[in-house]
Amino acid sequence: MTSRRGFLRQMMIGDESVVDAAGDQTLICIFLRGGADTLNLIVPYGDDLYYKLRPTISIAPPTANESATDVAVKLDDFYAFHPKLRPLLPLFKEGRLAIVQSVGSDNTSGSHFEAQDQMEHGESQNHVIGGGWLGRHLRSRAGREMTPLSAIAISPTIPESLRGAPSASALKSLDEVQIKNPRAVSQALTAMYGAEVGLLSQPGRATLDLLNRVERLRGKPYQVENNAAYPEDDFGSGLREIARLVKARVGLEAASVDLGGWDTHFFQGTTGGLQAEQIDLLGRGLAAFDADLSRERERVTVVVMTEFGRRIYENSSLGTDHGRGFAMIAIGSRINGGKVHGDKPDLKTEDETLLGPSGLPIIFDYRSVLAEVLSGVIGNHNLHRIFPGFQSQPVGLVSSSK
Amino acid sequence: MNSARRRWLKAAAAVGASLPFSGCERLISRTAKEFGQTIPDHIAVADGAEISPAFHLLSRTSYGIWPGDLDRVKKGSHEAWIEAQLAPEKIDDTLCELRARRFETLHHDPGTCYEYKKPVLREEITRHTLLRAVYSQRQLFEVMVGFWTDHLNINLEKGDCIYLKPADDRTVIRAHALGKFQDLIRASATSPAMLVYLDGKENKKANSNDIPNENYARELLELHTLGIHGGYTQQDVYEVARCLTGWRLRTKWRKGTVYFDPALHDDGEKTVLGTRIQSGGGEKDVDRVVEIVCHHPSTARFIATKLAQKFVIENPPASLVDRVAKVFTATGGDIKAMLREILHSDEFKAARGAKFKRPFHFIASALRAMGADTHAHKPLIEYLLRMGQAPFEHPTPDGYPDEAAPWLGTLLWRWNFALALAANEVPSVAVEPLKLIEAIDGNSGPEAISPAKLLPHFIGRAGAETELKSLNEFAASVGLAANERKAEMVGLILASPAFQRY
Repeated sequence: MTSRRGFLRQMMIGDESVVDAAGDQTLICIFLRGGADTLNLIVPYGDDLYYKLRPTISIAPPTANESATDVAVKLDDFYAFHPKLRPLLPLFKEGRLAIVQSVGSDNTSGSHFEAQDQMEHGESQNHVIGGGWLGRHLRSRAGREMTPLSAIAISPTIPESLRGAPSASALKSLDEVQIKNPRAVSQALTAMYGAEVGLLSQPGRATLDLLNRVERLRGKPYQVENNAAYPEDDFGSGLREIARLVKARVGLEAASVDLGGWDTHFFQGTTGGLQAEQIDLLGRGLAAFDADLSRERERVTVVVMTEFGRRIYENSSLGTDHGRGFAMIAIGSRINGGKVHGDKPDLKTEDETLLGPSGLPIIFDYRSVLAEVLSGVIGNHNLHRIFPGFQSQPVGLVSSSK
Repeated sequence: MNSARRRWLKAAAAVGASLPFSGCERLISRTAKEFGQTIPDHIAVADGAEISPAFHLLSRTSYGIWPGDLDRVKKGSHEAWIEAQLAPEKIDDTLCELRARRFETLHHDPGTCYEYKKPVLREEITRHTLLRAVYSQRQLFEVMVGFWTDHLNINLEKGDCIYLKPADDRTVIRAHALGKFQDLIRASATSPAMLVYLDGKENKKANSNDIPNENYARELLELHTLGIHGGYTQQDVYEVARCLTGWRLRTKWRKGTVYFDPALHDDGEKTVLGTRIQSGGGEKDVDRVVEIVCHHPSTARFIATKLAQKFVIENPPASLVDRVAKVFTATGGDIKAMLREILHSDEFKAARGAKFKRPFHFIASALRAMGADTHAHKPLIEYLLRMGQAPFEHPTPDGYPDEAAPWLGTLLWRWNFALALAANEVPSVAVEPLKLIEAIDGNSGPEAISPAKLLPHFIGRAGAETELKSLNEFAASVGLAANERKAEMVGLILASPAFQRY
């Protein structure tokens, strides 16, 4: 084993200090796949229209009983959390969690794939830029060496948002990252992939480098802090692995995690049911992540997005069809939290257009939100490279005073 | 066929009698081996600097080259191979059937499937799919089954799909994999699994203010036929959804059976892609919709593009797509005719080694290259899960992507599988690397193995200088006398960049 370690050390690219210097800030992007109905996550209980348009699937307004589980959880005089988001209430109250209402893209296709791709690419409709927004961020941010653990996707495949990243690894858990064979095998792989000039050259080398770095992390079983209770599923374990990497300071700068199951055309449910199960995972997962990383809050920012919202009215199958605007969530110590940014949502326009994806009118382009986080928190001001041709508008999401 | 079957039954009985009780699978493995599902004594390999045309044709029309396959193709013409593969019903597949036919849930109607537990259903259909990919002689058919399974993706984990997918696999995908495109789409449109997966069974108009569920209508246009830029509008999506209202699934007696409920159908006039569908069409509306979308020029182009991407290259030349689209139009969407056009094209011949194997293909081709004996139990399936391509587990209706980029993060898991497989360390899979080496290296015996001799069996050409250098250095540093080292050499070849391509 010593010889293997020696070999690994000898194979290290760059020196240790590069790893330690990189990744002072980690951006975690959570994508709710399927088009999340955020009107039932961040409930506009102050608007009667909401209840009128959703006779069976609305979330009842908050009551005097603050611990009730069958009604919404009050945020302010207009908005309330879905009860399954209750674990996030302290974050909101402490001013670290902000919501931006009526966010969206200019995509009108109503297609999950096109809307997701466009958003992950960071593009306008039909203006393909090349690569994903996280990929371009990692390429354009100044002054840091990329490490194979700079960008991680907790998923079987590398998501579109990380396309074009200098390196990105898709994995489920760090414990899987190893080759059990003797060092001559690793050496042969290094030689073969090192000699590659085509498609596999870069992924091959990145994989070998990843192996070396993870080798050093292993052997120390991971202990969560503050009794953080991650959900027992891929989403929860994915967040736990990210927390582990953040604490290990291996240079993690961007992480992507998916939570699926939001395409609620049918029998969406209210405080229980199909959507509530996903909301529960989201709420518990984010709360555990926040607790586990309480000592690292200055370095960690989370954004939660989806490809589009859903229609304001329910359909005949007690669900909601594809819509437009949605609410984004951002969590971090530099986030101007404890409030819902943006005007109250306009629920009226729905009556006019029954065809095609209508829904919440969009006030903020999704890139404006991402741009503020990238520039204001992460410190990458090359927004023209990340979102070429896009003029972002102020959201007020990042507090300069903190 | 009959005489072959009789011969097999006799042999199976003889083998069975000669063995102590060893379980059905060991008996099947023995029998299959007796009848040639094994590594031949001698394997001819291609040895030019470029991938040989026969190897290329085999690579693209199969899940990988079984030891000895190359000889079989070389003996006849390429055209003969293609034509034989395009008539799968004439190919004896007894040995594959031995392994794959015994999963009973695959033969049941949905109602009966509801009597099984979900893990049983999931295991059987998954194993069945992998076993057919690895062992079927009807390789092109299986490749097309995989293609249409992605195209008309259904995720077992949504709703009741797991009970309904076996019938969909049989009566939609396999029934029409090499048939007419329109028949395939028509079968899929009212397939119980699809009605659940894309909410078609919820699409109804019971009273005047019911709004249709557009989920299936949208994917039918966007993913199954015209393609996202195929020129349809939101209004078309809406109109198609209206046409498809009223299709339901029985929930009690004959559970999972499809029926049409006229009372839930929007029977007004509709206009789909500029074609008027008169009111009162009732359950015939679906036929009209399928006919209209399948005859749309965008559909010919979309399917031609996807087939060219599948069989030729990620960004196929427009010239090829044009010709295949023309064949689609001229033959009414004849899938065999389109495949002929592609497989005989110069574009196809020029694209050797241009594609990147997806994980399922990688694993199947590694098993085939090794002449492996497996019944595809859980440990093997777990590798597929880990690499993100277990059959019927793609969560969204677009199916697993047929591009390299999304899969480039799986290299580590490929290396681990390659090394474990060659070392006989994948539980429930048996390989004989030494026998394979001997068959390739012929007269010189296993002691004399060299990377230069082994590589061509796996990659269809002589090793390049850099490839051989890496492997020779490995051989020099560890020596190849021990059997473990020989297996590692084979594992390294399976893990090499060249084996990830096809």
